[in-house]
Amino acid sequence: MTAEPILRARGGVHSPVAHDSALKHVTGEARYVDDLPEPRGCLHVALVTSRWAHARLTGIDAAAALALPGVRAVVTAADIPGPNDIGPIVPGEPLLADGLVEYVGHPVAAVVARDYDTARRAAALVTMEAEALSPVLDLREAAARAHYVLPPTVFQRGEPGPAIEAAPHRLRGEVMVGGQDHFYLETQAALAVPQEDRDMLVHSGTQHPTEVQHMVARLLGLDMNAVTVEVRRMGGGFGGKESQATIIAGIAAVCARVTGRPCKLRLDRDTDMEVTGKRHDFLLSWDVGVDAEGRVLAVDMTLAARCGWSVDLSPGVVSRALSHADNAYYYPHARLTGLFCKTNTQSNTAFRGFGGPQGMMAAEAMMDHIARALKLDPLEVRRRNFYAPGRDVTPYHQTVEHFRLPAMLDALLASSDYDRRRAEIAAFNAGSPVVKKGLAVSPVKFGVSFNKPEMNQAGALVHVYTDGSISLNHGGTEMGQGLFVKVAQVVAEVFGVDLDRIKPTATTTAKVPNTSPTAASSGTDLNGMAAKVAAETIRGRMAAHAAELFGVAAGEVRFAAGRVMAGNKVLDFAELAELCHVGRVALSSTGFYRTPKIHFDRTTNTGRPFFYFAHGLSVSEVAIDTLTGEWLPLRTDILHDVGTSLNPAIDKGQIEGGFVQGLGWLTMEELVWDAEGRLKTHAPSTYKIPTARDVPRDFRVDLLADAPNEEATIFRSKAVGEPPFMLAMSVWLALRDAVASLAPAGWVPPLDAPATPEKILLAVEAAKRS
Amino acid sequence: MRDTIRFALNGRPLAVDGVPSHTTLLQWLRADGLTATKEGCAEGDCGACTVLLGTPADGTLDWRAVNACLVLLPQVDGRAVVTAEGLAAADGTPHPVQSALAEAHATQCGYCSPGFTMALAALAQRPERDDTAILDAIAGNLCRCTGYRPIVEAARNLPQVDAPAADASLAARLSEWSSEGLAYSAGAGRFLAPVTLAEALRLRAAHPDAWVWAGGTDLGLRVTKRLEVPGTVLFLGRVAELRGLRESAEGLEIGAAVPYADALAALTDLAPAVGDLVRRIGAAQVRNMGTLAGNIATASPIGDSLPPLIALGATIDLASPAGRRTVAAEDFVTGYRQTVLRSDELIVAIRIPRPAPGTRVAAYKIAKRIDQDISTVSAAFALRVEAGRVTAMRVAFGGVAARPLRATVTEAVLLGKPWTADTVAAAKAAVAADISPMSDFRGSADYRRLVAANLLDRLYLETTESTAPARLEAL
Repeated sequence: MTAEPILRARGGVHSPVAHDSALKHVTGEARYVDDLPEPRGCLHVALVTSRWAHARLTGIDAAAALALPGVRAVVTAADIPGPNDIGPIVPGEPLLADGLVEYVGHPVAAVVARDYDTARRAAALVTMEAEALSPVLDLREAAARAHYVLPPTVFQRGEPGPAIEAAPHRLRGEVMVGGQDHFYLETQAALAVPQEDRDMLVHSGTQHPTEVQHMVARLLGLDMNAVTVEVRRMGGGFGGKESQATIIAGIAAVCARVTGRPCKLRLDRDTDMEVTGKRHDFLLSWDVGVDAEGRVLAVDMTLAARCGWSVDLSPGVVSRALSHADNAYYYPHARLTGLFCKTNTQSNTAFRGFGGPQGMMAAEAMMDHIARALKLDPLEVRRRNFYAPGRDVTPYHQTVEHFRLPAMLDALLASSDYDRRRAEIAAFNAGSPVVKKGLAVSPVKFGVSFNKPEMNQAGALVHVYTDGSISLNHGGTEMGQGLFVKVAQVVAEVFGVDLDRIKPTATTTAKVPNTSPTAASSGTDLNGMAAKVAAETIRGRMAAHAAELFGVAAGEVRFAAGRVMAGNKVLDFAELAELCHVGRVALSSTGFYRTPKIHFDRTTNTGRPFFYFAHGLSVSEVAIDTLTGEWLPLRTDILHDVGTSLNPAIDKGQIEGGFVQGLGWLTMEELVWDAEGRLKTHAPSTYKIPTARDVPRDFRVDLLADAPNEEATIFRSKAVGEPPFMLAMSVWLALRDAVASLAPAGWVPPLDAPATPEKILLAVEAAKRS
Repeated sequence: MRDTIRFALNGRPLAVDGVPSHTTLLQWLRADGLTATKEGCAEGDCGACTVLLGTPADGTLDWRAVNACLVLLPQVDGRAVVTAEGLAAADGTPHPVQSALAEAHATQCGYCSPGFTMALAALAQRPERDDTAILDAIAGNLCRCTGYRPIVEAARNLPQVDAPAADASLAARLSEWSSEGLAYSAGAGRFLAPVTLAEALRLRAAHPDAWVWAGGTDLGLRVTKRLEVPGTVLFLGRVAELRGLRESAEGLEIGAAVPYADALAALTDLAPAVGDLVRRIGAAQVRNMGTLAGNIATASPIGDSLPPLIALGATIDLASPAGRRTVAAEDFVTGYRQTVLRSDELIVAIRIPRPAPGTRVAAYKIAKRIDQDISTVSAAFALRVEAGRVTAMRVAFGGVAARPLRATVTEAVLLGKPWTADTVAAAKAAVAADISPMSDFRGSADYRRLVAANLLDRLYLETTESTAPARLEAL
């Protein structure tokens, strides 16, 4: 009996296949750094950190720690063989503090012991003496005093000054938008294993293996080829394991060099939150001139970012904030100023959206301000300010092409029954003195590509074995976003084989060199393309060989459904692989990709930094309790643009997860430092991320249908990692809408983010007084 | 008393000694190579270390989801532990929960997934499968990737699953082990698990510095977060006299070692509002281990259970070798982290009188988050209005002073007055005299003052005829 021939292989592009590790995740078979079997003689590391926000260290006393049985070494800056610097963009960021400590939590020393518990107990015995210096802890104070880590940067188009003066209405406003801890469920970890020739192998939970390789090589005084960094997966990254994973891996590697033994550093949750940087909080202010219909004529904005004690990735973050401070709106004249404020707190870093969310919050807060101050409908004001033909140049001089939001808005308003609900909410609020509802729409236009053109490149390595199984490696890292399965789908598609023939392998600097971080939503766009190139190279050779064997033109050889068709000859993919080997055809290839069309001049802040834009829209309805400030998300409808999805199930997961993470950022995740600069919210008991009950009880997510990317991206898909995060802005705006219902028209709610119950109640009290 | 820890791990019985007595189950599992169970916080707030703990009961095992990070290894003596590695069938077929999660795209980074798997494996043994039951089952599990929708969807589609098979002989052996006392020591530490109250009191008197351990959901943090090493742990979970739950016409008597989860139905029956509040203490994993008595004994300024106990006029029975005494709930905590408990005393039970007919009991918890959060402010009221006048009123607050307290000034303003908006306004003004809140990362003193007073408005609205919702739960 013969089965019907399968016309298409299982698991190619556009199919909603499961994450490659899904079953391993739930059985616990999936390994993270701390789960790896420990090598013989493995030692454990614990950090000694500063208790001062700003001080000059005068002494470190490790005698008591060293006296504890099991302690092998206490490592300080003096033990680092190479330069003590891990600054990713600008030099000057020591791995271990040397003389000067600049925040509470600043790593000063590392205790190495035979077990984790001993290392932690010994770390508590290391004492330090220091001469305290006066810290700057407050963002507003740093901005006011021009206390910066870098000079300000400006995006400008046109001459906003005179245009603001001449505008029919001039509005000045500001909003404070809080930071956010990544709260990846897996805290940061690294295992450094000394090798022959003084080489070092590092298992690191990092989004940027190449940077860990570079930094470890620099710290140890080695060539890059002496350091190998491997990462199979991370338990979440969200940007927090981009530059800052080098702190953990660097310390583990130095400890391994000093002791000559494998060393593991895994941070406990409190230490992770106290040591590592977070999303930048921003003070956003605007001075805007608008016409009577609420159209922006000219705007002067200042985006003041809390960088923390050092530069880290702040230039990129602030640049992306500035390039997203327009969101979906056309500013005929704009001056956007970014401030790099220095405070004696953790060095803030990459976090999903990378400044984009904060920039967009400036735009959305300003739109809300304009609409409420001018007594206009906020949705209508947004629509009037949308980019449109002839009104399509951004403040960084890129022309907005293929702008999808107007049509998407119409579709979403219809599917979410917006008009009827708007009226129902007004009626509800009129009859409900305590509970008030709010409704709001917010758009997202997110630029895809690293702002730095040179980072937009990727490599891959594909092997076909003689049994037809395929090994896939590329420079991207897997942190839960489904990158490995998406790239495997691409390779399966190219070879026309089932997805289970492809094995994605751990990312390692030994296979693909000089990679960019898995960041900026670029993982699939870049690595998918590189893998496609590698696979097509091999397929081309196989086709040529088949053509020769079976006497057809190479172009007539087809790969589909696990078979190869060459004229009348049909054979299994594996058979052709074996024939190629016999015929001495290379079945391995690298692939390389660089994003076309992009350029950006960092001196003028102009160019085309983005290959294309991803779009999304959300409508959120909330209710607030005006006695307590408690609130509930009642319903959210999302329509999001992923081009032609490579994997609709994975993409939907990114949209839902991004939205909920954004909702946490804007409503409940509150970072609080005390007057001495100590972070008081450093564990889940004190820092609250959303739970399942905090998701809108009615949550509807749709992918924009029939929307291939106009640009030639990987199978016409669009990046999806970061853009959905900002869909949560509609929740924050709906909360403002609910508060505004308590006051006469024309009143603007003074509600910052995160909109905690306390902030909501204070805004409610202000509304009642208005 | 036995000196070796005996329990069943993923179906196999084993004996353990030589491990320090303060080692947590999580630490032990991971050191043993079972790395499915993850550490996400080591404070019982993320659920990544959730495992199933089976306790012998009536010839079978009662399975609960617990946080392995807050369970001391000797605590599992006489019990069975199942981890994500042990959930699959013997032939390797994944457990239905594992298949459901994988097929629903309910994992992304996967780090929280074993914990969700175990939380849902506990749910899968129960008949209730509505969204409330699902959300209650996973309220103690954080996921940073998925946004939860696919996890909830997987849970909705779960078949009912039998409890992990424990052959009759294993259940019998566990039952035998758990009915024996345990005196485990390794190094400087000691873990004592007596089975009678008399023995517990004798040990209490003999070890005045012992850590008295019921569920360990609060004390455990001193081990995992502050790295304290208890010299002696006196575990009460095996003392039969402390595990009783008695309902009568007069009220409810809850033994000191009864976990919240076991008292929940009776508390709800006594006063639904109190049940609702207790359902917001910790999450399922915490309520499966933690106890009301432990919550009171830790004397937190917030301690969510004390305000309703004070409002209901509960009393607390204490015992020592010298005898017994009873203390009113409102007098038990004397100051910040201080109680009337003497070093030779144990809490035996909490007695809650049934509210008099016509009494309106309300309990409110205000926090940044609905589930698994500590109150910024909590309040409980027991109000009786007869012929339009307040004939009885007890008001208690948490989170607004160094200890949970009874608001006597506020009560005095209300008593005997007509139950009207004007009276409530006067009472709101009086609240400030009862409380002395401070500012911290949960909320400012001003916010706490405002909310504490506003909750009287909520009570008023909820006790008067009004069609408009007085709070979000009414939507």
